[in-house]
Amino acid sequence: MINLTIDGKALQVKKGKTILEAALENGIHIPHLCYHPAIKAIGSCRICVVEVKPGPPRPQPACTTPVAEGMEVITQSERLQDLRRELVKFILVNHPLDCPWCDKAGECLLQDLTHELGIDVVDYEAVKVPPHIDYESRLIERYATRCVTCGRCVRVCRDRVGASAINFENRGYFTELGCGHVPLECEFCGTCIDICPVGALINKLFKYTARSWELTKTKTVCPYCGGGCNYEVHTKNGRIHRVRSQGSLLLCGRGRFGFGVVEAPERLHQPLIKKDGQLVEAPWDEALDYAARGLKEVIDNAGPEALYGIGSPRATNEANYLFQKFIRAGLGHNNLDSPARYNFARALAGIAAVFGTAQVSGVALESVKKGVYQSPWEVQEEAKGSGFPFVLGNTQHLSHADVILVIGADVTPEMPTYGWRIMDALKNENFRLVVANPRKTKFDRYANLKLRYQPGSERLLLIGLMEAVLEAQPGYTPHLEAAGFEDFKKTLLKTSDNATAVADLFLLIGQTCNKGSALYPIAEKNNSRGVCDVGVMPNYLPGYQSLAEDGGAFAKLWGKPVSEKPGVTLGEMLDQLENNEPEAPRALYVLGGDLVRLLPNRARTERLLQKVRFMVVQDAFLTDTARLADVVLPVAIHAELEGTYTSTDGRLGCLQAALSPNGTRPDWQIITELSQRLGYPMKYGSATAIFAEMAQLMPIWAGIREGHRWPHKKISVSLQGKFVPFPTEISIPGEGKYTLIVGKTLAHSGSYTTHAHGSQTIMPGAALKINPADAQVLKVQEGEPVKISSNQGEITVPIAMTVELPRGVVFLADHFSDTPANLLTSNSNLCRVQLQKG
Amino acid sequence: MIYPLIKGLATTLKHCVSKPITLQYPEEKRQVYPRFRGHPELQVDEDGRLKCVACTLCMTVCPSRAITKITPAEGPNHEKYPAEFVIDLTRCIFCGFCQEACPKGAIALNNKYELAQYDKRVLIYDLEKLRAKA
Repeated sequence: MINLTIDGKALQVKKGKTILEAALENGIHIPHLCYHPAIKAIGSCRICVVEVKPGPPRPQPACTTPVAEGMEVITQSERLQDLRRELVKFILVNHPLDCPWCDKAGECLLQDLTHELGIDVVDYEAVKVPPHIDYESRLIERYATRCVTCGRCVRVCRDRVGASAINFENRGYFTELGCGHVPLECEFCGTCIDICPVGALINKLFKYTARSWELTKTKTVCPYCGGGCNYEVHTKNGRIHRVRSQGSLLLCGRGRFGFGVVEAPERLHQPLIKKDGQLVEAPWDEALDYAARGLKEVIDNAGPEALYGIGSPRATNEANYLFQKFIRAGLGHNNLDSPARYNFARALAGIAAVFGTAQVSGVALESVKKGVYQSPWEVQEEAKGSGFPFVLGNTQHLSHADVILVIGADVTPEMPTYGWRIMDALKNENFRLVVANPRKTKFDRYANLKLRYQPGSERLLLIGLMEAVLEAQPGYTPHLEAAGFEDFKKTLLKTSDNATAVADLFLLIGQTCNKGSALYPIAEKNNSRGVCDVGVMPNYLPGYQSLAEDGGAFAKLWGKPVSEKPGVTLGEMLDQLENNEPEAPRALYVLGGDLVRLLPNRARTERLLQKVRFMVVQDAFLTDTARLADVVLPVAIHAELEGTYTSTDGRLGCLQAALSPNGTRPDWQIITELSQRLGYPMKYGSATAIFAEMAQLMPIWAGIREGHRWPHKKISVSLQGKFVPFPTEISIPGEGKYTLIVGKTLAHSGSYTTHAHGSQTIMPGAALKINPADAQVLKVQEGEPVKISSNQGEITVPIAMTVELPRGVVFLADHFSDTPANLLTSNSNLCRVQLQKG
Repeated sequence: MIYPLIKGLATTLKHCVSKPITLQYPEEKRQVYPRFRGHPELQVDEDGRLKCVACTLCMTVCPSRAITKITPAEGPNHEKYPAEFVIDLTRCIFCGFCQEACPKGAIALNNKYELAQYDKRVLIYDLEKLRAKA
């Protein structure tokens, strides 16, 4: 700690901080313009100058001068104010008086500085600079005339986002912000808009809709990917006008521009029930009665096990918890699963195979009532934990890693938060980035090593890496306690999936004593992790507790014992339907998740779901799955909801409602209504009450509260794993010359954002990405349609040529309903296809 | 004794022939001074276009919340203009703050002061009613 005085106030601050940081932390105001806590200070505007003793006789910029022992800092004096005033006047010489219609007015740093420094007249003149205003770019408008050339946008785009899409053009007085006099073609994350201290960058969705002081700000969590970014929605008159992340300001494009999903015209506001083969609108009570009657009929005829439950990685923890409680306690079986089975749960299963199931001890249930959204379990001194959750990494620690190996992931579109952390890690000169992907991805440009492999051959690559480790250091032993190492060494090359292979590799090389040494699986949806955590799985109770050893806690709280017989997974359930097995479900209760659109082999899923006698779907939109349902119940989403989400790294995000649900209802209310009608009443006043019950049943969540992750950092970890063999055969289903990868893009999240105007502006439709040489062979030009056909089906999509893809590999995004990519796939996101000029 | 009576009569007679102080309202209207603060109205420029840029400062400063709605919109040349502008005259206290706050000189109080109506709805002024007549 360093002792110094600022304006006579004695302070103690950490070594390495700058004067400005020290002052801001202690509530001392120093005017500044180019400094922002999210980016590196460069001291270019010189407005934060302060007098420093001992030091040079001239004022020093506070944002770049580090604190020193015994330093005396004066932030306000006549001389300093004069300097600042002159500096701001230079900026104002050519600054247009746009304040009445500039969207930044009211939260503009230049306005604040002008007011604070009492500048009423600018007594300088300079050549007028011609106004270069970019109205053409999508979603972002650039006003060069308003720019104060502080460089905040340039730095955040280059250093934090890693896009380097904007830079300065020209020199000196004529410096302006630009990207080569063409419209912006970037990631459209919009971070530059929020970091701009003035109105030089304007959000087109927000432009002219509201003034900054008219907005009501509500903190909530982004509903798209598993990153779990906390942001504020800014509302006026019951409408969202923009969203903003406080602090770092970093958000991705779908988070910042995708909020329009809430007021999409396609949203359902009235329940639908099937009458004469048609879905027609019905009042809530009628629809709920109809749903309960249909389900009851199936239960009475075929037993409760004939009702299969499908949870939702989009719904809150509370809704999913209630859902599994309804199935487990209300119906007495474990036949439930969620679409996360096809991605995140699969990764967890692979990691759990190697590192074992979750165990925690030394946590105690506190009798004192805690605040809302806080676990009642207290972490005690001797708390111990083991198993797979402890090997999953904390996103914030990712930037401390020495080496990051990215396998198969296109980081920024799939998990932007990881992307920002990798950008932070790159600041460390000893850091090494290894990117392995069949495609060229954004991080190739930063990678120290790029590994290009054939689609689907991740396991061979991983075997190669493990061999390399073993060969490079004969006698190498893993840092972690590992069983079966000798066998594994022998059978490595002679010897259930990618996740297991990655977990094996981590067991071999991981050093969990170091910050950031962990596995970072990617959760596709906002609550993919939460849906698994709260027990929407056929083989685990909430908190990954096994069905057999619940210790009676569940039966006590739920009033009914829990069946010890594990249920069937989603995939097994579909197989049962296919084979017309007697155990196959007769009724489905789908909490969300568009199975038809998202599961591989669309035609098969559609056919199998039609076999189900009665289907209840809760969704915000009339999805392809909802069209097959007998009852569709519209749910509240996004800023209409209260509850919690768990991000990919186990952090709890709390939602607050900013809008009225407008005819829809939160998932948990619908579940209680249905459960009541089916003879298992569950009464809750709010989402917080559900959270309290849920957290009481999950000791592994000990110490969790808003913004904190589980497992708690105070739990001492004893990790051990055993090497699990995995098959090395690679087979991509189907035949054809090309390998199709079905994947995600940065503009969209699932099919959800295709309903949002902002996201549709960035990416209005699908295009088949293809290597130009392949396109030439097919004799198709950019934008021309090609017919893609596989054993499962065919679709026609325009092409987009890119060198990102090697020859023989094509990529198609799976967001759009008019070009359903899963019509082509059979059991994964890879398949072989034929291409034909369409 | 008689003198005061005559004096009084003289005063009466003087007023009988002098110009009356009262006005025959509503047939005759009182002329007010130019700086009188009457109803707010939206100013137009030489081309007859509204000067207002929908910055909503007047709405923000209005102490009696008489300016109830300003809906901004974007014009063909990217200019900002009010698509809707509503002032509730029944709430207006004619303080003139709006005029003072306006950065474009787009709103000003005129000399009209009549507020008596059979129906209050007449006093909710929209963009058309607020536009100053040339």
